[in-house]
Amino acid sequence: MEFQSIEEVMNRLEKVGYIASKQIATVVFLAAATKKPILVEGPAGSGKTELARALAKCLKRKKIRLQCYEGLDEAKALYEWEYAKQLLYTQMIKEKINDLLAGATSIAEAVERIADQEDAFFSERFILARPLLQAISSDNPVVLLIDEIDKADPEFEAFLLELLSDFQVSIPELGVKKAVHIPLVVLTSNNYRDMSDALKRRCIHLYIDYPKPELEKRIVGLKIPDIDSRLVDRLVSAVNNIRNLDLKKRPCISETLDWAQSLMVLQIDDLTPQVISDTLNVICKYKADADLVRAAAEKILCST
Amino acid sequence: MLDLIIRFSKACRSAGMRVSTSEVIDSVKQLEYIDVTDENRFKYLLRANFAKSRREQKNFDRLYDLFFHEKEPEKSPDPALQRHAEIRELIESFSGDAGQTPIDAALKAFLKGNPIPYITEMQRLETKNEYTPKGLKSNLGQLSSRLEVMLRINAMRNRLLNLPAQSGENAPEARHRAVDHLLKRLDAAYGMLTEESTPYNDGLKQIRTHKKHYSDIGERPFSSLSPREVAEMRDVIKQMIRKLKDRASRRWAARNKGVIDVRKTLRYAGRFQGIPIDIKYRNKRLRKAKIVTLCDVSGSVWSAARFMLNMLYSMQDCFSSVNSFAFVCATTDVTEIFEKNEVNQAIEKVMSNADIDFNALTDYGEVFFQFKRDHIHLLNKKTTIIIVGDGRSNYHNPRQDILAEMREKCRRIIWLNPEPEAFWGTGDSEMNTFKAFCHEVRPCRNLNQLIDFVEDLVM
Repeated sequence: MEFQSIEEVMNRLEKVGYIASKQIATVVFLAAATKKPILVEGPAGSGKTELARALAKCLKRKKIRLQCYEGLDEAKALYEWEYAKQLLYTQMIKEKINDLLAGATSIAEAVERIADQEDAFFSERFILARPLLQAISSDNPVVLLIDEIDKADPEFEAFLLELLSDFQVSIPELGVKKAVHIPLVVLTSNNYRDMSDALKRRCIHLYIDYPKPELEKRIVGLKIPDIDSRLVDRLVSAVNNIRNLDLKKRPCISETLDWAQSLMVLQIDDLTPQVISDTLNVICKYKADADLVRAAAEKILCST
Repeated sequence: MLDLIIRFSKACRSAGMRVSTSEVIDSVKQLEYIDVTDENRFKYLLRANFAKSRREQKNFDRLYDLFFHEKEPEKSPDPALQRHAEIRELIESFSGDAGQTPIDAALKAFLKGNPIPYITEMQRLETKNEYTPKGLKSNLGQLSSRLEVMLRINAMRNRLLNLPAQSGENAPEARHRAVDHLLKRLDAAYGMLTEESTPYNDGLKQIRTHKKHYSDIGERPFSSLSPREVAEMRDVIKQMIRKLKDRASRRWAARNKGVIDVRKTLRYAGRFQGIPIDIKYRNKRLRKAKIVTLCDVSGSVWSAARFMLNMLYSMQDCFSSVNSFAFVCATTDVTEIFEKNEVNQAIEKVMSNADIDFNALTDYGEVFFQFKRDHIHLLNKKTTIIIVGDGRSNYHNPRQDILAEMREKCRRIIWLNPEPEAFWGTGDSEMNTFKAFCHEVRPCRNLNQLIDFVEDLVM
């Protein structure tokens, strides 16, 4: 077992720069203890992918990432035969093949002899391992991040089931490959599409929301140590107010951090409507959003 | 502990959540690893295993509180024990009432601390299918049976309040507290009856702004167009569709070009002595969406729906199939009319269709029910459902449970509402209920909003 207690999860994650809420720590601890995949849901930018990165870092494991998208298939996710390499090898060993076939009396016998050598061509030498195969065949345990699983097609989801429940994959030419070590799997989803029940059953579920203001303050403090704490207070409550507006894209934690960073660079130590209006581009990524925030600047600040 | 978890999973199942045996096993296994005396951890553990998506979390939280916090009167020593006996006695006194209906039994079990029968009963009421004869139509059964439960609760409450003050061998103090407790339980039961249990819907895409494609006619609400403007609108739509189609086909051509297909290239290279002269690409197959539209054709909504259908059918070759249904209080398949006629003629024909009772009151629940009964096979994971309607169900049962079922079967549900957003959820509008089961909702009152929608759908 990697972790002994929930507190240990929190401490170790914090050491690598990820402040986990109690809920996150509990679920991570349970998933690690029972070797189950974690299905993480939450709004964009709430730190889902970051959780996997932090886990890999604190467990000192390699992180293998599979980014999902529409049209992702087995060849991109699991393995592919390297045809070009196979062809090159056949060209190079042509002589050897001639030797092999020398003395064969009939075509049937020649085919038989070639067939005996089949294994040489469909061996691991010619297989191009993609993230999923890499993760289960790695000699050291890894963290496997399957990012934005909701973007992949439903067929791909079905294909993942074998991997997630038995931690094995079947390659027709080679047989079933079992995992050397069971990787810690983190799947993330943006709720773009509902996941199938079968997939949900194999995972344990975690919902990460935007952090509570206190937590967000701690995160800003951790990432930008020399920021004035009064500014952090103002900043975080302003961001929380902005999130309550009806925006196309709500600012996430990384945007809070970017904003704090840019205020530091500009050597501004207090928020005013003018400051908000000037530095808006950091937190709003749509013009319509920026207009809305600018109009509500007074309100955002006064309720702090 | 095992017993407790199993009973809780039973309660969850009777409230319509899907909790499988493997999930129960998982959570029992995991309980070994944590300190159960910390309640938060216990709850997080159960939630991680029982509610496997954000949508289910609300329901889970509600059941958790009900089951673990309001369940049994706390079992502390002496005085409570006495109270316990007192409570039992009071509950038994109800059984004297005439007519032991399942609701009575469920309520009594609920008072005793076993909420499962009551939850089951509530779920049954919610999803009850009614086969009412045509003609005298009403699907208010769900509402009226709810009313019945309410009346039962009120009757029990009255009984408790009017209990004679005398109290045999028991101290009046104990009786008082017992009554208090039972009243609280009744309040909880009542609360469950009236509260809304719509799930969280974080993935919902709610469109509020739109681009200004056309300045004058683009902003005019559909409902206030003069016949001349309708004709003008058609020309504008025609022109716009042409542009859109051009863009769509160009974009497809570019997007379609896949990576090099080594297998195929090598196979063809064989013809030229192994030199890959002819390079083959792995072209992606077009993934065209299947569309099912459900259009409210009553009164004001129709003016928006007709333009939507006009655009959709003009773009038909961008989709693999389009099935359309018109409804007021019953669904009518109008796909054929659109297949056989030119779009504008087809729209006129729908209006004069004898099968549609234009004078009836809109009833979404009935429409969903009929759709499920007759056409649910049209839905698969490639289907996009487009519903055009104002969500005004004339206080009939909205049957959102069928909408939830449809959601599970299709790729996405998009709801176009011809009313401005400020009116959603007012009066008999069930929009806020329906919203929780849609993937996308957008107001669709004028041409600009409609163009935005179609662009989004096709691109």
